[in-house]
Amino acid sequence: MIGLKSVATRPFRVRLSVSLWALLAIVPAAPLWADALDGQFEVRSAFINISSDVYLLHADVQYPLSDDMRQALTDGASLDFDLQAAVFRERRYWFDNDVVNLTLRRQLSFHSVSNRYIVKEAGQEEQRSYATVEAALEDLGKVEAWPILTKPQLTAEANYRVAVRASVRRGKLNDALRVILFWTDDWQRSSEWYEWSLLR
Amino acid sequence: MVAASLRRYRPIIQIALWSTVGIVALVLLALTSSNSAQFDTWRLWVLIGSVAGVIVLAALLARKILQLLRNYRQFAPGARLTGRTVLLFGPLVVLPLVIVYLFSLEFLNRGVDSWFRVEVRQGLTDALALSRSALDLRMREVAERNGRFAASLSSLSDRDALLRLVDERRDSGALEIVLYDAGGRVLGASTAALTLTMPAAPDEEVMRQVSRGEPFVSLEPQAPGQYLIRTAAPLGHAIGASDRRFVLAVHEVPPRLAALAEAVQTSYSRYGNIDLLREPLLDGFRLTLTLVLLAVMLAALYGAIFSAQLLFKPIQDLMEGTRAVAKGDLGTRLPLSTRDEMGFLVQSFNDMTKRLRRAREEAEKNQLAVENERARLAAILARLSSGVMVFDHAGVLRTANEAADAILGQKLADRIGKPLHELSQDGDGSLLQPFVKLLLKRFAEQHNDFREQLDFQAPGGLRHLMCACVPLALEADSDALPGHVVVFDDITALLTAQREAAWGEVARRLAHEIKNPLTPIQLSAERMRRRYLGVMTGQDAEVIDRATRTIVQQVETMKRMVNAFSEYARAPEVTMSQFSLNQLVSEVCDLYRPQNRAVTIEVDLDPKLESIEADRGRVRQILNNLLANSQEALEHAATGRIEVRTRRIEGESAQFAEIVVADNGPGFTREILDRAFDPYVTSKPRGTGLGLAIVRKIVEEHGGDIVAGNRASGGAELRLTLPLLDAGRMAAARERRNELRKELA
Repeated sequence: MIGLKSVATRPFRVRLSVSLWALLAIVPAAPLWADALDGQFEVRSAFINISSDVYLLHADVQYPLSDDMRQALTDGASLDFDLQAAVFRERRYWFDNDVVNLTLRRQLSFHSVSNRYIVKEAGQEEQRSYATVEAALEDLGKVEAWPILTKPQLTAEANYRVAVRASVRRGKLNDALRVILFWTDDWQRSSEWYEWSLLR
Repeated sequence: MVAASLRRYRPIIQIALWSTVGIVALVLLALTSSNSAQFDTWRLWVLIGSVAGVIVLAALLARKILQLLRNYRQFAPGARLTGRTVLLFGPLVVLPLVIVYLFSLEFLNRGVDSWFRVEVRQGLTDALALSRSALDLRMREVAERNGRFAASLSSLSDRDALLRLVDERRDSGALEIVLYDAGGRVLGASTAALTLTMPAAPDEEVMRQVSRGEPFVSLEPQAPGQYLIRTAAPLGHAIGASDRRFVLAVHEVPPRLAALAEAVQTSYSRYGNIDLLREPLLDGFRLTLTLVLLAVMLAALYGAIFSAQLLFKPIQDLMEGTRAVAKGDLGTRLPLSTRDEMGFLVQSFNDMTKRLRRAREEAEKNQLAVENERARLAAILARLSSGVMVFDHAGVLRTANEAADAILGQKLADRIGKPLHELSQDGDGSLLQPFVKLLLKRFAEQHNDFREQLDFQAPGGLRHLMCACVPLALEADSDALPGHVVVFDDITALLTAQREAAWGEVARRLAHEIKNPLTPIQLSAERMRRRYLGVMTGQDAEVIDRATRTIVQQVETMKRMVNAFSEYARAPEVTMSQFSLNQLVSEVCDLYRPQNRAVTIEVDLDPKLESIEADRGRVRQILNNLLANSQEALEHAATGRIEVRTRRIEGESAQFAEIVVADNGPGFTREILDRAFDPYVTSKPRGTGLGLAIVRKIVEEHGGDIVAGNRASGGAELRLTLPLLDAGRMAAARERRNELRKELA
């Protein structure tokens, strides 16, 4: 069972926000390009196949890995790895309409007693453990057959676009602390959107 | 209207706006704080909004301060009070904020440091080490037992080995024991689970380890709070044989130990997680606090200035209102914004300006009434036929009307403000000088209230003025000395008319009383002559002849005289017609030329004088009388010369014809000249003395004027003017004169 969570953010909004950010030069853009999460971070590939009128998403994500991250995990930190998938119906004279906007969240932490890295699906008891962080990240980067859409949600004459983005942020943080930290938290980073047209 | 309402409610709108912004910000903060998804959505906007809010606040505050400074420098009403209040209360607001800020920072530093004490970290690390040691011991025991068990299977076939698996699982308490071949295929398994399931293939780590002929052991955490010890041992490991099969056993860590280990793990993880937040948390708190302080401080300062301006707005209005009133704008009304003491003050100010405005309007009305009265008086004075002159207590001329100008022959408007003694040296040749001298004399004699007839010798003859002088009545409380009002009328014409009327009456009675007996006398004389002249002879006849002839001649003379009187007394109706005056003058002059060759008549006619509207017969009579007078005056002259001139005169409101008849005779004597136009005034032994009287009568009937005088070169000169075409004016003049005459009669 894959945990689904609706998030209202959109790619163009983020681009607009970043532009505004840069234009206003109000605050440093550190939260988006953090040192702690330095490294290659991208959606390497993604595609969708149909099985019994259900659109299944497959993605391969390269997550960054740094010594800071390794140390933080060893010291007890946990990280949330989100994969955000959105399907937009293209409109000619107005903004695109998002048909679905889903987020798949998984958590990575280090189990100090057993000296193993734990990967856990958000909201589930099931977990997997790995001896190395590389193996854990490899597991986190693989998303296979994630059902994101059913055929009745689409209309025949419209064109659709799929966008996928991965993001990392500090996990196990309550919302009040997250508000306080949002000025200075550099444990947050998102990849570029990976987009393609949906073929039916 | 809408703009005025907006301006009036601007402070309330501003307060409402900022309150709304504050409430929205608080709601957003609450929403984003309670929901991380919301926070993710709004975080950027919250950030931009917060910073933009601070910038906007700073800009507004800067604008307010600049405005305040500008007003302060320009001495704008209320600016100093506002500035002083802000300087007084601004620090009172800012200082506590800064203190709270510094205290909060210090509290944060100390508080957060206390959360991450070194002892706590060390304790957790030790507990972790202890847990690991306990679990390592257990893992080692399980691994050694599994190794021994694997070694015991090395000499057995798969079938025999399978039988041992069950015993071993039961003896060791393992959850599962599986025998794999070198490729990882399951050769046999014993499991504690009730359901029969196929054991999973060993993972890479296991395969990598056993392929090297080494045992494998790992501790795998399972949710919730369970630990599994997974251990694998190749069968040939103990004896160095080439058997590649291996046994994988899965043991559960005892629950008590697992629970303790999980508790240590949870605490360590949680602490480590929070420890990582230490610096970012501190920075976040500092930044948030700073931003909040900035926002609150800016808002407080802005609010202080805003409140001060709001508070002093009525005072500012009052000052502006006072300035406006000082400049004379009494229509100023201040807006009544509150019902408190300031409102009472504003209300009082409005009442005061209202009363002042009413008083001023009353004064203006009174002034207007005075002006109107003055204008009315001036109009009355201007229309008065009597001359009026007003002198102040110092004898300075203050007012003179147009009739005074006409009577005195000088324009007095130019002499307003001049004292009497200056006026007495002015107006040469006019009546002004003698008139003012007389007034000076009367005033010097302390005659302030008199009424008398004044006679003056003027170039045109004697002028008679009826003059009344009264002191000006002043108000009782006035300290000023009274002036004088002098009212005078030219009664020359009136006296003349009186005389004319009297003489007319005399003439009429004379004609009536004398003419009646003349005819019987003449008839009686002629009868006597006829009866006795034929019967008498000698000396008697001669006496009769001479006596009767004398009687008849004298009666004829008396008849002529009586007819002349009758003509003078009779006032026939004037018959107006248009005719050429020049032509009439030529005709009359031609009649007189042959009568006396010794006298030359020179005629000078103005070609511009085309026609005149008058009674032709009476104008002819004027010319006859004047020419006859001149001829009679030149009877004894060796070379007599009569000059007759006509001229067109353009007056202000009418055109006139001027006729001048002059001769080089002896002229008028002084006595005659003063009364030249009076009846029975003559210097000729046989004259009736009615010639010039009739002339003036006719001239006045035509609305004209006549002046008699002597020429500088010698001889008399009669100058008369007749209106050309203004029949209405002439008729009015005739009417007036007739009425006057009737009254006198």
